Amino acid sequence: MSLYEGSVKRPIMTSLIFTAIVVMGVFSLTKLPVNLFPDIDTNTIMVMTSYSGASAEDIEQNVTRPLENTLNTVGNLKHLTSRSSENVSIITLEFEYGYDIDDLTNDVRDKLDMVKRALPDGATDPIIFKFDSDMMPILLLSVQADQSVNGLYKILDENVANPLARIAGVGSVSIGGAPEREIYVYCDPVKLEAYNLTVEAISNIITQENRNIPGGSFDVGNETFPLRVEGEFNDPREMENIVVASVAGSDIYLRDVAEVVDTLQERGQMSFTNGVRGATIIVQKQSGANSVEICNKVKKMLPELERNLPSDVHIGMINDTSESIMNSIGSLEETVFFALLFVVLVVLFFLGRWRATFVIAITIPLSLIASFIYLLLSGGSLNIVSLSCLSIAIGLVVDDAIVVLENTTTHIERGADPKQAAIHATNEVAISVIASTLTMLAVFLPLTMVKGMAGMMFKQLGWMMCVILTVSTTSALSFTPMLCSQMLRLKKKRSRFMERVYGPIERFLDRFDRWYQRRLDWCVRHRGWIIGVCVVIFAASLLTVRTLGTEFFPSSDDSRLTIKVWMPIGTRTERSQQVAEELAEKWRADFGKDTRVINYTVGQASEDNTFASMQDNGTHIISYNVRLKNPSERKVTAFDVAAIIRADLGARPEIDRFTVSAGGGAGMGGQSTVAFEVYGWDFTETDNVAKMLRTELKKEPGVAEVRISRDEYQPEYHVEFDREKLARHGLNMSTAATYLRNRINGATASYYREDGEEYDIKVRFAPEFRTSIQDIENILLYGSQGNAVRVKDVGTVVESFTPPTIQRKDRQRINTVTAIVEKGFPMSTVVEAGQRIIREGDIPLGVTVGIAGDFEEQQDSFSDLLLLGLLILMLVYIVMAAQFESFSDPFIIMLSVPFGVGGVLIALWLSGTTLNLMSALGMVLLLGIVVKNGIVLIDYIRLCRERGQGVVKAVVTAGRSRLRPVLMTTLTTILGMVPMAVGRGEGSELWRPLGVSVIGGLTLSTVLTLILVPVVYCTFAGGQIKRQRRKHARQLALDAYWKENKSKHIKAAKK
Amino acid sequence: MKAIFIAYDQAYKERIQTLLDRGGCRGFSMFPQVQGRGSVSGDPHYGSHAWPSMNSAILTIVDDARVDALLDALHALDLETEKLGLRAFVWDIEKTI
Repeated sequence: MSLYEGSVKRPIMTSLIFTAIVVMGVFSLTKLPVNLFPDIDTNTIMVMTSYSGASAEDIEQNVTRPLENTLNTVGNLKHLTSRSSENVSIITLEFEYGYDIDDLTNDVRDKLDMVKRALPDGATDPIIFKFDSDMMPILLLSVQADQSVNGLYKILDENVANPLARIAGVGSVSIGGAPEREIYVYCDPVKLEAYNLTVEAISNIITQENRNIPGGSFDVGNETFPLRVEGEFNDPREMENIVVASVAGSDIYLRDVAEVVDTLQERGQMSFTNGVRGATIIVQKQSGANSVEICNKVKKMLPELERNLPSDVHIGMINDTSESIMNSIGSLEETVFFALLFVVLVVLFFLGRWRATFVIAITIPLSLIASFIYLLLSGGSLNIVSLSCLSIAIGLVVDDAIVVLENTTTHIERGADPKQAAIHATNEVAISVIASTLTMLAVFLPLTMVKGMAGMMFKQLGWMMCVILTVSTTSALSFTPMLCSQMLRLKKKRSRFMERVYGPIERFLDRFDRWYQRRLDWCVRHRGWIIGVCVVIFAASLLTVRTLGTEFFPSSDDSRLTIKVWMPIGTRTERSQQVAEELAEKWRADFGKDTRVINYTVGQASEDNTFASMQDNGTHIISYNVRLKNPSERKVTAFDVAAIIRADLGARPEIDRFTVSAGGGAGMGGQSTVAFEVYGWDFTETDNVAKMLRTELKKEPGVAEVRISRDEYQPEYHVEFDREKLARHGLNMSTAATYLRNRINGATASYYREDGEEYDIKVRFAPEFRTSIQDIENILLYGSQGNAVRVKDVGTVVESFTPPTIQRKDRQRINTVTAIVEKGFPMSTVVEAGQRIIREGDIPLGVTVGIAGDFEEQQDSFSDLLLLGLLILMLVYIVMAAQFESFSDPFIIMLSVPFGVGGVLIALWLSGTTLNLMSALGMVLLLGIVVKNGIVLIDYIRLCRERGQGVVKAVVTAGRSRLRPVLMTTLTTILGMVPMAVGRGEGSELWRPLGVSVIGGLTLSTVLTLILVPVVYCTFAGGQIKRQRRKHARQLALDAYWKENKSKHIKAAKK
Repeated sequence: MKAIFIAYDQAYKERIQTLLDRGGCRGFSMFPQVQGRGSVSGDPHYGSHAWPSMNSAILTIVDDARVDALLDALHALDLETEKLGLRAFVWDIEKTI
């Protein structure tokens, strides 16, 4: 018993099997994690080696180079980049996508073991880090505090950070911008000198005084008591009364030589939100945890936590990854819903029957829901790739069901019993249904084999489409015939309602059929004309390529901007903060109505704040986080705002440089970048080339911003000690340096304990005694015999510049100039401009410039996709040639492919979209979709000819008969894509090019398929007939000759 | 005793068997897949790409008295659904075992 016969005869079993699939699919849906993108495996490993005391150049030569030379031999390595700065060498290995990172880590470890011995003695063992996108913060909270700034760190740490960190899945919670409490003992150097005291001595005394010491136990009568001395300070002010020295019989108290200040860290980060001082709280997730779930839990907990906070402390949201994920997913869900609606309407329009529409529409949820089971089993997630896949699939899954239903209807109309009709009708079309699914699989299966970045995106799409199409075909061959046999009846009389509503539509469709038949009849008789016109249209579409820009990945507006501003090195925090506030105020005035939060942080991060110290920070660096309102609530885009900000920043001369990043929070979908890599040994030469590039690029239209990766030389003061003089005073380099450090940076003497918290007690010079070079020169150093000497007597303080970090890529020194492409300008214009500048510019010998960045990724991905396209074309051809058992027919069908490509180009051109990864994907999808129409048409033409019709008659009859099915399947696909192409929700920029290209390509190719394919078929068939006739004529002539000369030949043979 | 050869479109399968049951014809031989075409009109039944439908055939040997009723019933069925195709032929049986 065949599949369809079995399912028609056992309707209960069939419907329950599919019910089970739906139940499992819905169950899987509830368990699926939600993410923005499919899981992209990490492909980077960092190797960190420290060698203290070495300068950047020493590190480069002695640590980085030997390591690089060995690590370069690890397999599957794409790029090897390194940063050699003072004391530290960091090497980053970037691998090709798609390899197991654990295997690669082992390879790297083996290589490191080999090279370890070649490293200098003082260098530490190299440490391996795996970089993970999970390290990105998922939530950034702002805290505003009017009055409670001083105690803010403790308040937040106890009441917010600790409870949040207890939520399952939360990795770490760090607080930024809230300075921590510290107790400073500010010494007056003059008084210290007068009493012959040092910072070290005071620090020592404080340590000795601030102690709780157990004194053992003693017995009193029958009982034993422990004895303790409790010397720890209960109040910082107690310290003032410590006796630090005795001079001439009188006690010198600490208050006589120093001031005890219970205050906040001197150099801390300050954070301001909408003009109010406060802090930022950064929440990171554990690796592999579900962002959306954690964000929701955190958000649910916040109001509860806020109740325990002082009334002036308010918690706000700067950055919520889950929101942009949910918004993107939400707008895509809406897209899927509209696609479903459109497809159902199209089916109803063409069939005009409720029951038939129901039979077809039910396959849509069935096959889509089944794909959730696959997603759960394969560890996938709901993301924009899997959801756009559903949207693409909606139009495709109904095709098979339509074919089966149509044939069943024909059988029923001929008088067959619905049950028998369903079995035999399905039997008749089963082969062609399977063949057309195979062509689609020939498109989607190769997608799963793409490597590189594009591969990570398309793998899931490929597998999901394969699953969906297989399920939909299985359902079309089992569930659909079963439903047909149960629901379809021979309509002997139509209801009056339907007559009134559907009558006009049917008459229109009939008229349209006849009109098309007449046109087609004319076309096949004027073949030269038609082919000529089609070639012209194709050539014209190719012309648009010149004006079409290209980019790698469409940039998406996720309502977020991050801005980093560098003031000249050495700018004080106060000055930076002033500039930051002025800018923020201006922006609040300019586009305040479109923003929700403007937050900025300035200043040096403290060493124990892991997250902040990983970022670039310093007294001269300002980091902004701007969160705009949702795209639907504002008119300007994040890119417009970025342009305004860039203009503002550019107009302020005191700003050294800045970066403005808009969109693409998750690493993809930000503004496109083109990186010009300047390779060369000499710092000055490469710097000059980089600067020349920056100046020239800034003049180009379409360049929003230019960044140079190599830092400027940093000014700093060096104390150069004379070793001989030091030795004469019983000092050495380390002791002298420690004396300096204790006075300027401070010596941590002890800890002050209060309510279970520890605060540093730091002894150092009072701020007013460390503001000039003279102050440093006058610092007293004490030798081993207690003799004092001033810094200026044993050394000099000189101003100098430290060389920047040395960056290398693929074992060559590199300086990268990154141009950010303005929204609305294609990346290709910037690449071309850059290439021209490099060609015309004066590049010194030994310096080479290469182009990388998104451009490199784009080139890689596009060549991957091109190869993929060719592979798909071959596979599709093979499937069709096998089905038709012919070489020429698949060729005719494939003529619609170039028009598909042409249609894509025209649609992109008309809509002003660029050629990017998503529109290229659309083109690849089209290969499978456009040939489907051709298959339907050619299949029927062959059928008509087999039934004995002449070529032209067969073509015209088949054309008329297949017009509706072709239009119906095409319209379902096109209308299924329309919501994608016109969507305006968050993240819609990502998939709009896909929708536009499929719609454009399919429209043009369908129109031309309906005309060109029959015409070309006629030409080919005509040629075939002529050849046959000639062959026949030759055969006849030969036969006649044979008949005449038969006797001659036979006799000759006998002799 | 007469032999009736009924050639019909596959879709008739159940209806023909019901007719035989009603007509009291117990014995028959059935050929489920039979190709053929009508002498005058109708689509050929070849099971091919061009003509995908197939016929079945039944050979039944019945008492003379039952023949007319059965043929009438078959004729009525054919008239009802002309497009499917249904033909029956009768001849004598000379001997049986």
